[in-house]
Amino acid sequence: MSEVRIAAEPRTEFGKGAARRARRAGKVPAVLYGHGIAPRHINLPGHDLMLALKTPNVLLRLEGVDEKESLVLPKSVQRDPIKGFLEHVDLLVVQRGEKVVVEVPLLVKGEVGAGGVLNLEMAQAEVRAEATRIPEGIEVDVDGLPIGTNVTAGDLKLPEGVELAMDPETIVMSVVAEAAPEATEEEEEGEAAE
Amino acid sequence: MLIPRKVKHRKQHHPSLRGRAKGGTSVHFGEYGIQALESAYVTNRQIEAARIAMTRHIRRGGKVWINIFPDRPLTKKPAETRMGSGKGSPEWWVAPVKAGRVMFELAGVPEPVAKEALRRAIHKLPMKCKVVKREAGE
Repeated sequence: MSEVRIAAEPRTEFGKGAARRARRAGKVPAVLYGHGIAPRHINLPGHDLMLALKTPNVLLRLEGVDEKESLVLPKSVQRDPIKGFLEHVDLLVVQRGEKVVVEVPLLVKGEVGAGGVLNLEMAQAEVRAEATRIPEGIEVDVDGLPIGTNVTAGDLKLPEGVELAMDPETIVMSVVAEAAPEATEEEEEGEAAE
Repeated sequence: MLIPRKVKHRKQHHPSLRGRAKGGTSVHFGEYGIQALESAYVTNRQIEAARIAMTRHIRRGGKVWINIFPDRPLTKKPAETRMGSGKGSPEWWVAPVKAGRVMFELAGVPEPVAKEALRRAIHKLPMKCKVVKREAGE
C-alpha cells in the first residue's frame, strides 16, 4: 500500500473551543502516539485527510513533524454521526518493517446458493501484517455455498506475509435460509373474505 | 408488536431526547440502514408498520434487523378529565430515538430493492430519516 503525504501542523491550544476553531478553519485535530513517545497534538487538513481515509488502514506520511514520528496509521476515527465529517483522529506511529495488528475489511465475492442469505457476522478480520504492506481487503468467495455453511476466520485466504490475529474458530459469516415472504395486503384481505 | 415482557415500573418519566445518539450510529449487521436525522419517540406500532412495509416490498430473500426496542411506557389521561388525581394510564410503548441512530438494517437484496424498501419504511416513522449504506471498514 502506498503512502499518502499530509501536511501536519503542531497544535498549541487545546480544549473544545480551540478544537472547534480548528474545525471551522477546515482542519481536523489529531493526536499522535506510539513507540513510547509522548503524545503529540497536531492539526491536519480536513479535505486531504477525508480523501486519504477512504482507504481502510491507509499509511500516512506526515510532513512537518519529526522524521521518526512521520509514518502513521489511523487508529481511531471520530466522525459526526449525521453529517459524517471528521471530528478527531488518533494516529499510531509505526516504523517501516514493523508488524501491526489491524482490522482489514472482508470483501465478499459471488452469490450464495439458492434459498440462502449471507449473514455477515464480522465485516472485518483482525490480522497481523507489516505496516507498509497492509492489504486493502481480504476476498472471501461465497459462490454457491449451501445453507448452513459457516465460514470461519481460519478459512480466510490471507495474502503472503499476513497472519491471522484472532481465534481461527471464530465464525465470520454464515449462510442462513431466507425468511418466508410476508403476506401482502391483497392476500390478507382474500383470506379474511374466505 | 414489540412489547417488554416485564417492567419494573409501570409508569415512568418521559425519556430524554436531548443531544445525539452516542452509539449505534453506523450500519453493523446488514448492508443498508435507516438513520434518524431528528430525535423522536418511535412507538411499537410504527416499528411494526415500518417492518411490514419493508418485508412486503422485498418479498423473498433478505434479512431485516431492528436495532431499537420500545421499552419505555408513555401514559395518557382520559379525555375531559380534570387535572390531578394521579398519573394517567399507560397508553403507548416507545423507543426514544436520538438523531444519528441507525434503527433498521437490511441485507441480502439488490441495492435498488433495498433502497425502495427502506424508503417505504421511512414513511411509517415519525422523524426525518435517511438511507445509509455500510462503508468499507465499518
